[in-house]
Amino acid sequence: MVNLLDRPKLDRPTDSPRHQQRPVARLTLPTLLTLTAIVTIVPFAAMVLVAFAPASGSTFPDALNPTRMTWQNFANVLSSSDIPRWTVNSLIYSLVSVVFILLFAAMAGYAFAKKRFPGRELMFWAFLATLMVPFQATLIPSYILVSKLDWVDGYWGLIVPTLANSQAVFLMRQFIGQLPDELFEAAEIDGASEWRTFTTIVLPLVRPALATLGIFVFLWHWNDFLWPLVIGQSGQMQTLTVGLATLQTEAVPINQVMAGATITVVPSLLVFGLLQRYLTDSIAMSGLKA
Amino acid sequence: MLVLFIVFRFVPVVGAVLLSLTDYRLNGRWSFIAGDNYTRLLGDRMSHESLVVTLTYTVIFVPLTVLLSLGTALLLHQVVWRRGFFRGVFFLPYVTSIVLAAVIWKWIYDAEDGLLNGLLGLLSVGPVDFLGRAESVLPSIAVTSAWKGFGYSMLILLAGLQSIPRSYLEAAMIDGAGSWQRFRYVTLPQLRPVLFFVLVIETIQAFQVFDAMYVMTGGGPVRSSYSLVYLLYDSGFKYFDFGYASAIGLVLFAIVLIVSLVQRRLVGRDD
Repeated sequence: MVNLLDRPKLDRPTDSPRHQQRPVARLTLPTLLTLTAIVTIVPFAAMVLVAFAPASGSTFPDALNPTRMTWQNFANVLSSSDIPRWTVNSLIYSLVSVVFILLFAAMAGYAFAKKRFPGRELMFWAFLATLMVPFQATLIPSYILVSKLDWVDGYWGLIVPTLANSQAVFLMRQFIGQLPDELFEAAEIDGASEWRTFTTIVLPLVRPALATLGIFVFLWHWNDFLWPLVIGQSGQMQTLTVGLATLQTEAVPINQVMAGATITVVPSLLVFGLLQRYLTDSIAMSGLKA
Repeated sequence: MLVLFIVFRFVPVVGAVLLSLTDYRLNGRWSFIAGDNYTRLLGDRMSHESLVVTLTYTVIFVPLTVLLSLGTALLLHQVVWRRGFFRGVFFLPYVTSIVLAAVIWKWIYDAEDGLLNGLLGLLSVGPVDFLGRAESVLPSIAVTSAWKGFGYSMLILLAGLQSIPRSYLEAAMIDGAGSWQRFRYVTLPQLRPVLFFVLVIETIQAFQVFDAMYVMTGGGPVRSSYSLVYLLYDSGFKYFDFGYASAIGLVLFAIVLIVSLVQRRLVGRDD
């Protein structure tokens, strides 16, 4: 310690490398940060500008002239495509999934974390193992299964297979595992039924975790592509994300495609705007991944 | 609920293995053909090409996205000014779908109307048909995916950076280490496990590339962006060759598994 403190550099802070850098760093890094942020935002800004540009002005740089804004592209794309129907499909797909996945995950997570039953460890490892399998690897058998049930091109086929979400169960098990065992012992001594323990002790305590998980499940389903693409074969059963992909393969003018794109992104942006802190903090803590 | 998981989680895994040993067709007729799908996969030119495309894409995408996430994470870590705001901006593309990113960037890259060629035109360069040329199509798609997803890895890396004890860096500073030396000998070794995690999930992600290619190029030009999952999708839902498609899916699973095991090996050695 004495040696370190004797170093003259420390006594004269202006000489230390850190202080020599400061004036430069103070300007350079924030500028770099701002530039990176602008580049990140430009594609969104361009999307919105093209969506509001008059039909004749899709060519750069006319598309970026904000003085000639019009809602016409939105009106056109809403009337010429199935966007209203796709929106309903996306909402049903996302919201129904959120409700059931959260309920199942809380129940299974509670069972895995706090209940003793034969084969618990084995079953939990089986759950974990399915997390390793990429979705694409089971796409074909899942599709055949759904077609055997005659669920293709319908809500059942779209939603039910996705409710078996191992990742959600895993996360809830981790979270419920942290709750003190004494709580559940007390409930048992007081003679609370299994269901009562679940609804009055588990659910209120895991509400923050459920909120975060709910946001993720919503975004997973709202942005999901491959499964709805395969299941929603008719135009009527497509989700908004799949619909957007079909829009731009058909001969729809770019202004209208961008108007459609702007519509699809609104719910994600709402979720993001309202719950950004929840999202970013939970990723940093748990590594939750869409 | 258990039934739900058994039917839709476990049965498809077993089903994929069984299906890959058959020539299951759309009409439900099938016969056991043992490893024929796999021998076909090994000998098929299209599957070789799609594997090369997938590997090339991975080699471009992973360094790109990791450098982008690490760069922005370091910037955010250094600059306290409006950190929450900038963090939000970088994370914004992550909450959107890859389809949306693909639709926007397809326009940006467009040879006639696109934003990028408009800007290049101001410099009297181009126009460059980014998505129409074999040599630029994969980098262009990689940039799109990196833009869409780097915010996630950035958050993980930022959390990693913030968990490095300040005293380590201060000690290095007292010993006279410059900012590069501090980064190279303190920050980077401390960040290693987190960096490795990010590297692995991005690699796994890269091997599963499909959505962006489906939307932006349809696999073209001349299959130069035709990935393994694209081949799986076409085999299954264009040619209804379900057995063959299942075999491709299992090859993908094997690749992902190997990547994860290599990671466990390398990180385990450190602990």
